[in-house]
Amino acid sequence: MYAGTYECVARFGLAKTTVDDVARAAGVSRATIYRMFPGGRDQIVRETVGWEMNRFFTRLAVEVEDAPDLETRLERALSFARASLLEHEVLQKVLATEPDVLLPLMTIEQHRVLRYITAYLAPLLEAERASGRLQDGIDVEVAADYIARMLLSLIGTPGRWDLGDRVEVRDLVGRELLGGILSSRGNE
Amino acid sequence: MTAALAVDSLDPYPVETRALDATLACIARHGLSKTTIDDIAREAGCSRATLYRYFGSRQDLVAAAVHAEALRVADLARGVAGAATTLEDAVVGVLGVAGRELGEHAALRFVADVEPEQLLPYITFSGGDRFLHDAAETLAPCFVRFVGDDATRAAEWVARIGLALWLSPTAPVSLADAETLRGYVRAFVLPALEPSHVRNISNQLSKG
Repeated sequence: MYAGTYECVARFGLAKTTVDDVARAAGVSRATIYRMFPGGRDQIVRETVGWEMNRFFTRLAVEVEDAPDLETRLERALSFARASLLEHEVLQKVLATEPDVLLPLMTIEQHRVLRYITAYLAPLLEAERASGRLQDGIDVEVAADYIARMLLSLIGTPGRWDLGDRVEVRDLVGRELLGGILSSRGNE
Repeated sequence: MTAALAVDSLDPYPVETRALDATLACIARHGLSKTTIDDIAREAGCSRATLYRYFGSRQDLVAAAVHAEALRVADLARGVAGAATTLEDAVVGVLGVAGRELGEHAALRFVADVEPEQLLPYITFSGGDRFLHDAAETLAPCFVRFVGDDATRAAEWVARIGLALWLSPTAPVSLADAETLRGYVRAFVLPALEPSHVRNISNQLSKG
C-alpha cells in the first residue's frame, strides 16, 4: 500500500494523489484502503512520507553496518545520507514543487525517525562505554538523542559544512557530535 | 543632532513601529495567510495607502516585521552574552533568550502551530541553510571573546541546537528550563565549541 502510494506521489505529487490512484497502484479496493487507513487520503499520504523516511534511514544503517567504530560510522553516515538526499529524485521533485505540503508532513513524521535513530545509536554507545571510550557520567539515552537530532539536522541542513569533504566531516563528528561523549578522541 | 531629526522620529510611537506591531498582532489573531492589509491598517490606525507608502506590498510589510523581531531577539541575545563571564553562561544565556522570546511569541506560535507550511520553508532544507548562515553571522559576536576565530562556527552550532530543540516537542531538554538546559550545554555543547588550541593547552596542563 505504501509502495503504491509512493509510486503515485512520484507521478502526480502529494496534493493530487487520490484514494482511487492508490487503490489502482496497490491493486486493492477503496474499501480496503479506508479499512486500513480510516483517515483516508491524508493518513495514507502522511504515513507514506514516514515510510520512505524509514526506508531512507534503513538503507543508511545497512551502508554503515561494517564501520569499525562510532566515529567512522557517523562520518560515513553523514556523507552517504547527504549524497542520497541530493540524489533522491522524488524528494527533490516534491521539495521543489510542493514544499508547503511536504515539510509539515516530514516534521510530523520526523519524531518517529528520531526515535528510530536514537534506538539504533543507544546500544552502540553502550558498547563504547563497555570499551571504556565514553566520558564519565554520560546518560546514554540523552547522548543518543543528541547525536540523532543533530544528524537529522545536518543531513537536511548542513549549513557551513560540506558533507562530501572527508576532512571537514571528520572534524565535525570529532568535535560537534562526539566532543562531549567520547573520551579517547584526543588519542587517535 | 536634534535639529536634523524629522518630525516623524520625534513621535514616541511612529507609524512604522505601529505598523510592525499591528502586523504581529494580526498574525497572532488570524494567522499569516488570513491577515490582510486592511486588518493591519485598522489595527495600526492608519490608512492602507500609508502602509503601501512606507513598506511596499503586504509581503514586504510581513518581511519587515519578521526582520525587526529577529533584530530585537538578536540584540537581547548579544546583551546577555556581553554580560557573560564564561562561554557556558554565554551559550546558556543566548539559548535561554531565544527560547523565552520565541516561546512566548504569540504570532510565531500561531504560525508554527496552525500554518507550519508558512514557516518551515524558511527553517528547513535550503531555507534552513540560509537561516543558520544569518543566525551564525548575527550571533558570532557573542562568542568571539571566548573562542576567537571559531566564533562563527560556534554560533552556527548554537543556533542549530536552538532550532532543533525548539522544533521538537519530544526534546530531552526545553529551552525554557534554564537548569536542565545548563546541564545539557555543559555535557554536549561546550565540548563542541571549545577551540582546539584551548583544549590542547588544557590537555598539556592536565598531563603536566
